[in-house]
Amino acid sequence: MPLWIQILPGSDEPIYIQVTEQISKAIARGELASGDKLPAVRKLASELVINPNTVARAYSRLEQAGLVTTKTGSGTFVTDPKLRKTDAADINMLTERMDTLITRGLNLGIEAQDLIRLFENRLTKFSDKLNERKEEK
Amino acid sequence: MNNIVLKTKGLTKYYGGTLAVDHMDLEIPRGCICGFVGRNGAGKTTAIKLMLGLLNPTAGSSRLLGCDSSALTPAIRQRIGYVTEGHRLFRWMNIGGLEKFQRAFFPKQWDDRFFADMIEYFELSKKQKIKHLSNGQRAQVSLALALAPNPELLIMDDPTLGLDAAIRRQFLEGMIELIMRQGRTVLFSSHILGDVERVSDRIVVIDKGVLRANCSLEQFQKAIKKVILSFADSVPDLVNIDGVLHCKRSEKQLELTLVGTDDEKISEWAKSAGAENYNIIKMNLEDQFIEFTAPANDRRLFQWEER
Repeated sequence: MPLWIQILPGSDEPIYIQVTEQISKAIARGELASGDKLPAVRKLASELVINPNTVARAYSRLEQAGLVTTKTGSGTFVTDPKLRKTDAADINMLTERMDTLITRGLNLGIEAQDLIRLFENRLTKFSDKLNERKEEK
Repeated sequence: MNNIVLKTKGLTKYYGGTLAVDHMDLEIPRGCICGFVGRNGAGKTTAIKLMLGLLNPTAGSSRLLGCDSSALTPAIRQRIGYVTEGHRLFRWMNIGGLEKFQRAFFPKQWDDRFFADMIEYFELSKKQKIKHLSNGQRAQVSLALALAPNPELLIMDDPTLGLDAAIRRQFLEGMIELIMRQGRTVLFSSHILGDVERVSDRIVVIDKGVLRANCSLEQFQKAIKKVILSFADSVPDLVNIDGVLHCKRSEKQLELTLVGTDDEKISEWAKSAGAENYNIIKMNLEDQFIEFTAPANDRRLFQWEER
């Protein structure tokens, strides 16, 4: 599956974060499945017209997060979800982000029940794709 | 191999009584793309001309690839590419003639095939005369001439000035293509911060002839941020936190632009100053550059006033 990454210069997110987040999202949605190979650093840099060090930086952050594994000489691959480790800090970070979203939602006057429904709706968008991928295989 | 490809020491240039470059100590490591930014008249072009030995410094010195800029040997010059501001090329020559002329300076490493491919890609022909080309086409020829000798160090003075988005992107692609080859370094000046952000991994900021920053782009982006603090009664008189670049007060709010102050320090200070709450605001590169080079008096061109 082609990996579509859009670079937005002039954003308050540095480009290596933009690349990291878009690849993370592609993994979460199943567009990149466990075992899939990421494009080579130089190839992606050339395609996106960004500095190769920026791509390397993004890949090393993904590796730190346990989402990908680099095998010397053969490339960078999406890690098997079973092998990914979650620690208390990850859960904390997730809770904080959810709090921000909940605050915004409540401030917009959305009821708690509707927020839950909205959350579930979005979640199915991700799991549908994941299931599709599994069936393909 | 020496890993500093460009080094200036106390580099200074006066034009009559006007100081254009002020004691600049700059070191650029091999292998980076370095965005050289500064406002109009900050001294970028002068600095570049001093580095290339096209101007004599009033004081100080500069070295390229380990050789003094005022005495660059032909052997060293062959390893350096230079693109002038405005892409000034001999107007009476045709593209092929210009290639032949330029190739004579780089006899060992001129890549005929690469040059021909680029000219073809740009839908130009070697027979075309420079004087009949548009600004954009002249820039494309200049890009092909700069890349064909596969320079170890490429210095470009505002190469994308006045170019359309597509040709600008071709310059960025050219820089990325060059940097992928082993040991190549690019220094380019530009006013388009989005381009700098895209391709650079290093940023050099010059303001009024003074070197203000020379660091990785990531460091620069991390270092400059804005904090807005709210106070219940009134803003404290004393703002004793390190790294304050600008400080704007209103009745109950304090807006600080900080350089190199980490988030913990901000939190500590907010607490000790008695702030009710505070917000750290991320800035984009353009805002960071504007704040970083703005005079300290915080006057704005158009001041909005409540009536």
